[in-house]
Amino acid sequence: MNAAEELKKALPDAVTKIGMQCNKPEATVKKEDLLDAAAKAQELGFDQLSVITGVDYEDRVEVIYNLFSYENKHNLVLKVILDHDNPEVDSLTTLWKGADWLERETYDLVGIKFTGHPNLTRILLPEGWNGHPLRKDYDMETEQFVTIGEDGDDVVSTDGSNLLRRK
Amino acid sequence: MTNAYELIINILTALGVYDMILDMFKPSGTEFVLKLIIVVIELAVLFAFVLVTVMFLTWMERKVVAMVQSRYGPMVTGPRGLLQPVMDGVKLIGKEDIVPAKADKFVFNLAPYLAFVPALLVFIPLPFGESLIISDLRVGLLYIIAISALTPISILLAGWASNNKYTLMGAMRAVAQDISYTIPLALAAITVVMFTGSLSTVDIVSAQSGTWFGIIPKWFIFIQPLGFLLFLIASIAEMGRIPFDFQESESELVAGFFTEYSGMKFAMYFLAEYAHLFAVSGILVTIFLGGWNGPVLPGIPVVITSLVYFLLKTYAVVFFAMWLRDTVPRMRIDQLLNIGWKIMIPLALLNLLVTGFLITAGVI
Amino acid sequence: MQTDELLINMGPVHPSTHGVLRFKLRMDGEIIKDCQLVLGYLHRGTEKLGEMKTYQQVLPYTDRLDYISAFPNNYCYVKAIEELAGIEVPLRAEYIRVLVMELNRIVNHIVSIGSLLMDLGAATMIMWGFREREKALQLFEMLCGARMTFNYIKPGGVREDLPEGFIPKLNEFLEEMEMRIKDYEQLINSNEIFLMRMNGIGVISAKDAINHGLTGPTLRGSGVNHDLRKLEPYSIYHDLDFKACSRPEGDSYARYMVRIDEMWESLHILRQVVDTMPEAKVISTSKYGVAPMTGVPSTVSTYFPRIFTPPAGEVYTRIEAPKGELGFYIASDGSTKPYRVKIRSPSFCNLTALSGMVKGLKIPDLIAAFGTMDIVLGDVDR
Repeated sequence: MNAAEELKKALPDAVTKIGMQCNKPEATVKKEDLLDAAAKAQELGFDQLSVITGVDYEDRVEVIYNLFSYENKHNLVLKVILDHDNPEVDSLTTLWKGADWLERETYDLVGIKFTGHPNLTRILLPEGWNGHPLRKDYDMETEQFVTIGEDGDDVVSTDGSNLLRRK
Repeated sequence: MTNAYELIINILTALGVYDMILDMFKPSGTEFVLKLIIVVIELAVLFAFVLVTVMFLTWMERKVVAMVQSRYGPMVTGPRGLLQPVMDGVKLIGKEDIVPAKADKFVFNLAPYLAFVPALLVFIPLPFGESLIISDLRVGLLYIIAISALTPISILLAGWASNNKYTLMGAMRAVAQDISYTIPLALAAITVVMFTGSLSTVDIVSAQSGTWFGIIPKWFIFIQPLGFLLFLIASIAEMGRIPFDFQESESELVAGFFTEYSGMKFAMYFLAEYAHLFAVSGILVTIFLGGWNGPVLPGIPVVITSLVYFLLKTYAVVFFAMWLRDTVPRMRIDQLLNIGWKIMIPLALLNLLVTGFLITAGVI
Repeated sequence: MQTDELLINMGPVHPSTHGVLRFKLRMDGEIIKDCQLVLGYLHRGTEKLGEMKTYQQVLPYTDRLDYISAFPNNYCYVKAIEELAGIEVPLRAEYIRVLVMELNRIVNHIVSIGSLLMDLGAATMIMWGFREREKALQLFEMLCGARMTFNYIKPGGVREDLPEGFIPKLNEFLEEMEMRIKDYEQLINSNEIFLMRMNGIGVISAKDAINHGLTGPTLRGSGVNHDLRKLEPYSIYHDLDFKACSRPEGDSYARYMVRIDEMWESLHILRQVVDTMPEAKVISTSKYGVAPMTGVPSTVSTYFPRIFTPPAGEVYTRIEAPKGELGFYIASDGSTKPYRVKIRSPSFCNLTALSGMVKGLKIPDLIAAFGTMDIVLGDVDR
């Protein structure tokens, strides 16, 4: 029995589908039950959260959590499928501190909101950036200009007005 | 002959021109003008010497670092890169002199000079050789310690006036460091004074002439090994060099107190740093390593041999400081202060006490 | 007396932030109350670029992630493609891959230790290190013509076989390196000031380290002996004799020592690879595998279809890069371009733990702890 099946057995209602991500067992989880499923997985020995990936599939958004168990040397993939226009899912920062930045990055680039995250701000792009670049509908034509304002924060504009410094 | 003034007069007399020159001034009763002229010449020579030394030291530093790190160092300007300091100077003079908009301009401009002047003044009671001394002050040692304690004032002014957090932190560190290291420095030097009974640098040097059993020179390092060690560590901290270069510590504070300086003012700090390095090494040599004492060579005037001995010893100490810089990392400021207050000052006091007992008991 | 907190903005342009990282520090005198990190100054959108290029075209971008050690980046991306499409790789190619990756691990650790010592104020180590690194870079140049951005490991093998005279030069390098690592240890390990600066600084417990998602030497410095080369042996690592190095203390010195130990292990691995490297021609029968090309003297495939369409699917592959666990997630929709490329970079994930580690320490400790995390900003910001 692989890890996904184990999780299905432990939480039959939360896990809607099990399969494989290439060679790793994958469990698709209802988005309401993600926190429970992740906590269960942690109980099962999956102590490392390797990566959080957000993928925009135009009709839906998927968030993929790759877990690994250092003790048993097992992999487990959790997947949640979210609404495309308003993707929102529980944050795992309470379980893994390492989820903090990974979730911020996913929020920044894919635009997924993690409810319960202590500091859900952009991490790679400046605050105030328009759009989330890894969305398929991201506007690639509009240029955006970033400068540093008086108080040290980033200022973003689309017309370059902030680039001119006149006194 | 006790100092350079008399040395010059002696040379002039030997050449047979002194009386002639004196006669030129005597009728108008202005002999003091001649005196002044000679003093100015002395100081000019000293100033030129310090400048050339500093330039040489910057070149030497880079060469020593390069040797340790298996590189060549500067090689292009002049033979073996000897003219590199000149080019550096030209470059620095050519740089724009930037004063930060929110800096205190007067203090900001004043601070570099305040750093450079004490570094020069330290040389006045420093005996470069037999009678090669500008002035044999009776409080020579005290004067040296007092003058070198002026440097942190300039650093504090620079750090404060720049209106920058890094410079301010560098300045605060420099002051804390200087206060805690001037004390063991002075305490270590006092033990030597207990032997000589005089603060005059000339007396200290002449007390170290001669040898024991014809082999071991009578240097204070052999009587005061602990005092020497304390003085060495404290003086490296005074120079502000790795492992104690907190005032700059470029990986933490960018460039410490002179972050905002550019061009000639930056060069001033640079000059002061190396002048200080040379001066402190010279003082260390004077107090502990026998000053200009060395075997007398027949046929060569003592003035020349003593100067050579002094320079050799001083450059050895300078080399040690440079070598140290390439070998060890920087300490942390609180660790340094801990060592200063908790280890070095008690040790210095103990050393003082033991020395006092031994002298009273007549052992040494 | 009224005191005030000092806000210090370290970076993005600062001598010891290893690039363009920015620390926002709230200080009480010299003591750090709070440390926030601001990233993104080197963000080049590699993941977005990955969606817009064909599979082969993405490869050069992976060189630019962790530019100190580009071979593992190459390899991890290629490995993801190979797993996705089920490509078999000739054995000799796998040997060459491990060879270059381990060589790169040595180079990476040299730079890491050198810059750590540089941050501590001892500039000698980085110069010594670069002397040896230069030799390794010359080997890389011999191999693929590039010194830092290699683009050498290709799907289905490597670009070219080892050039003539490579192995003798490598052996020379290995011999010299053995002597040099001893030199480094002599210079650094027992230096009292270095120990004062490193011992007990930036401590992170094993549990916290795992919870924060630390990997690589940074994790193993906390006494967790996890190395993906051992846990999930990829390539030919299961045939090699080596051990994962770890230290129990969890402080900066432990992290530094793990790197030194790993350099020794890498030398050991390289010796074995050189000794056991197969000469025989290896022919793969899989769809994208090695075509037995006539006239190509080497045993390594250079054949890979120009129009490459892997089957639709998802894959997440990770390897033990010098800095930690490097992962590539690729989602394919069956076209010539990846649908989504996600890079799990070790530097980014390791950096998560820094602000917790340095709370209550001083600025010099921040520099020391940060130096032992071994960060490359190209890898953090991607």
